[in-house]
Amino acid sequence: MSSTTFFTAARRTFPGSSLGELRRRVWQRGPSSEFTWAVAFVVPYIAVFAAFVAYPVVYGLWMGHKPSLYTELFSDPIYVNTVVNTVIYLGIGVNLKMFGALLLSGFFMRRSWWTKGLLLIYVLPWAVPALPTFLSIHWMLNGQWGLINNTLWDLFHIDGPGWLETSRWLALGSVIASHIWKWMPFWTVILLAGRMAIPQEVYDAAAIDGATGFQRFFYVTLPLLGSLYLICTLLSTVFTLGDFNSVYFVSGGGPALSTHVLATLGIRDAFQIARPDLGVATVMSALPLMIPLIILLMRKLRTTDIQL
Amino acid sequence: MRKLSRRRVIGDSLGLAAAGIVARPFLAKAAAKTASVWWTQGFVPEEDAAFRAMVADYEKQSGNTIDYSLIPFAPLMQKVISSLTSGDVPDVISHDIQDQQVVPQNAWNDRLLDLSDIVEPLKSQLHSTAYLGSRFYNNVTKQRAAYQAPYKTQVLPFHVWGSLVEKAGLKLADAPKTWDAFWDYFKPAQEKLRGQGMRGVYSLGLQPTTNGPADGNQMFTYFLAAHHGMGIVTPDGRPHLDEPAVKAAVIKAITYITTAYKQGYVPPGALDWSDADDNNAFHAKQIVMDLDGTISTELAMIHDPEKYNDAVTLGLPNDNSGKPIPSPLGVSGAFIPKGAKSVEVAKEFITYVVQPQVAGAYLKAGLGRWLPAIPDIVKNDPWWTDPKDPHRLSYVTQGVLGDTVPYHYAFNPGWAEANAAQIWGSAHANVIRENMTPQAAAEAALKRISDILAKYPIAQT
Repeated sequence: MSSTTFFTAARRTFPGSSLGELRRRVWQRGPSSEFTWAVAFVVPYIAVFAAFVAYPVVYGLWMGHKPSLYTELFSDPIYVNTVVNTVIYLGIGVNLKMFGALLLSGFFMRRSWWTKGLLLIYVLPWAVPALPTFLSIHWMLNGQWGLINNTLWDLFHIDGPGWLETSRWLALGSVIASHIWKWMPFWTVILLAGRMAIPQEVYDAAAIDGATGFQRFFYVTLPLLGSLYLICTLLSTVFTLGDFNSVYFVSGGGPALSTHVLATLGIRDAFQIARPDLGVATVMSALPLMIPLIILLMRKLRTTDIQL
Repeated sequence: MRKLSRRRVIGDSLGLAAAGIVARPFLAKAAAKTASVWWTQGFVPEEDAAFRAMVADYEKQSGNTIDYSLIPFAPLMQKVISSLTSGDVPDVISHDIQDQQVVPQNAWNDRLLDLSDIVEPLKSQLHSTAYLGSRFYNNVTKQRAAYQAPYKTQVLPFHVWGSLVEKAGLKLADAPKTWDAFWDYFKPAQEKLRGQGMRGVYSLGLQPTTNGPADGNQMFTYFLAAHHGMGIVTPDGRPHLDEPAVKAAVIKAITYITTAYKQGYVPPGALDWSDADDNNAFHAKQIVMDLDGTISTELAMIHDPEKYNDAVTLGLPNDNSGKPIPSPLGVSGAFIPKGAKSVEVAKEFITYVVQPQVAGAYLKAGLGRWLPAIPDIVKNDPWWTDPKDPHRLSYVTQGVLGDTVPYHYAFNPGWAEANAAQIWGSAHANVIRENMTPQAAAEAALKRISDILAKYPIAQT
C-alpha cells in the first residue's frame, strides 16, 4: 500500500484531522500488540540495514577520512594511471556496449525463428557466472599457451602478441572487450524490451509518410527510446565504476599494474599492501564522479516519463 | 499504555538490533577454554593432516578445545587484515608470510601481544636468524619484542629440471659456482630445447613481477645478498639507501633481471606472476630453472616419482667474487592479536606447538616443505638429512646448516610496506616497459622506499 493510499484510508477513519494529527493518531492508536507488531516488522529491516548498509558506509567514511591518505594516493604514479584507466574503461566500455546494444536490439526485433534462436545464444555470456568466463578469457589470452595464440601458431605459424603480458593498451582493450562481451547482452535485452513497447502504429504512420528505415530509426525509435537509453547508460556507468571482476580476473591489473581501475586498486591497496585505510580512500576517490552520476540518474528518473 | 511514536518504534528497534551485537562477545567469553585458530592451509594435503593431528594431540593433553580454520593462503591474508583492522580477531593466527606482510606493521601499531614469555625460554635452542626474524619494533612501547613465536622457516633454493638440462646438452655438474655465471649457464638451454620442438620453453624463471605477494621481493633480496646489498637496512632499523655499495647492488640486481627478461630468457608473463605462477610454469616445463621459496615445487610432484626425481634442488652458488652468499631466511610462526578472547589457551597452544618434538613432528609430517626454527630438530632426526630424498638435504643444508640472514622487514616495518607495494617489481617494469635505465629505475625505487621508511622512525637506544 502506498503512503498516499494509506493516509486516504486513515482520513476516512479519523475525519477532519490534519496530516500531522493523522500521523500521530495512526501511530498512537490501537492496543499494545500493534506496537509489538510494528517493532517486529521493522526490526529485521533496521538490523539488516544498520549492519550491512549504514555501518559499512559510515565505517568506510571513517576509515578514509584522513586527508593524508589522499595526499599519499595522489603521489602514487599507479593511482594516476588507474584514474586514467577508469575513465577510459567507462568512456569506451560503457558507450561501445550501450551503442552496440542499441543496434543489436534492432536486429533482434526481427521475427524470424532463427533470430530468436540466435538471441538465446547471444544472452548466454550474461547468463553464465562471471568468474569462470573471465578466467577462461584470461587463459585464452595467455601469450605462451593460450587458445588464441596456439591457434595462430597452428594455422599460420605466427607467434601472437602477449595480450595481457606486455602492452597496457592490449591488456586494457582485452578487459574492455571482455566487459562488453559479458554485459552487452543484458542491455540489449533491456533495450529490446523498450523497442517492443513502441507501438507499431507509429512506425506504420511513418512508413505511410514515406520514411525510410534510417528515418524511422532517427525520427521514431531514437526519440522514443532516448530516455531509456540515457538512463541505462547512467546505470551502466555506475555499475561499471564498481566493476571488479572484469579487470581482476582478465588482466589482474597487469601488466605491471598498468590496467588497474579504482575498484581493483582499492582491493590491492587494502589487502596486498595491507593498508585497508588506503584501499578505502582509493574507492572513495571515485565519489566525485559517482555522486553526480547518481544525482543525475535520480533526477532523470524523477523527471522523465518512462512510458513509451 | 505507552505512547507509540515513530521515534520510539525506530529507537526500540535499534536497541533490539544492537542487543544482539553487544551480547555476542559475552557468549563467546563463556567458553573460556576454547581458542579460535586461523592457520594457513598446506600446499600438500599431508601438511593439513599433520596440523589436525597436532591439534588432536594438544586437545587430548590439555583438555582444551581448538576451534580451528584451515584457510588457503590468499583468502587467509584478506581475513587476517580485515580482522586486525576491525578488531574482531581470533585467538591465534599463523600465516605463511605473516613475517613480511602482517606482523611488522601490526607490531609497530601495538596490535599484537608480546610473546617474549614463550620465545625467550626457547632462545638458546632457536636458530639465531629465526630469533632475530621474530623480533619486531613496537612504536608505542618504543621497544623490540617477540611478536611471533617462530616454529618454521624457509629459504629459496634453485629448482632445475635435470632432464631438460641434459636434453639441452648441458651438465648440472658443470654449472659455474658463482652467481651471475650460474644463471648465465642455463641461458643457452632455451635455444637448444626450442630447436628440439619445445616452442614455449624459457631458460630462467626469474620473477620481475609486480604481482607477488612474496616471490618477487624474496628473489630480489637474494640478488641483493649476492651483490653485497643486504646493508640496505641494518638491524637497528636504519635505512642506508644512499650508500654506494647498496646502490650498486640494487642497480646490478635490476640490470641482471631486466636484461635477461629483455633478451627473452624469461617468460613474458613473469612480469605479472603471482607466487604460484612460477611453480605452475616449472611444472608445465615452461622454464628450465627458477629460484623460489621452499621445496613446494618438488613436493607438489611427490606422488609422481618420475617427475619428483627429475627435479633437482640446489643451494646457492657463491657470489661473483667467490664468497658464500648467506640465504635470507623467512621466519613464520604463530601470533596473538590484541583483543583475543582466550589468551591463556592461545598462549598454551602456541607454547605446545613450538616445542621441538611437536614442531619437528608437525613439519616432518608436512614432508619438510618448511624447515624447523630449531636446528636441533634437524640434527637429532636423520630423516631431515637423509640423502635418499633428492631434495631435502640440499634444502636443509642451505636453510638450517648454512649461513642465513633475516629479511629487512624484521628490522623496519616500512620494508614490509615497501615490499607489499612491489617496488622492486615496479622498478623492473620501468626498465622493461618504459625503457628506463636500471640506474634511473633504482633511483626511483629507492626514493619511494625512502618515503615509506620515513613513516617508520625507529628510536635508537
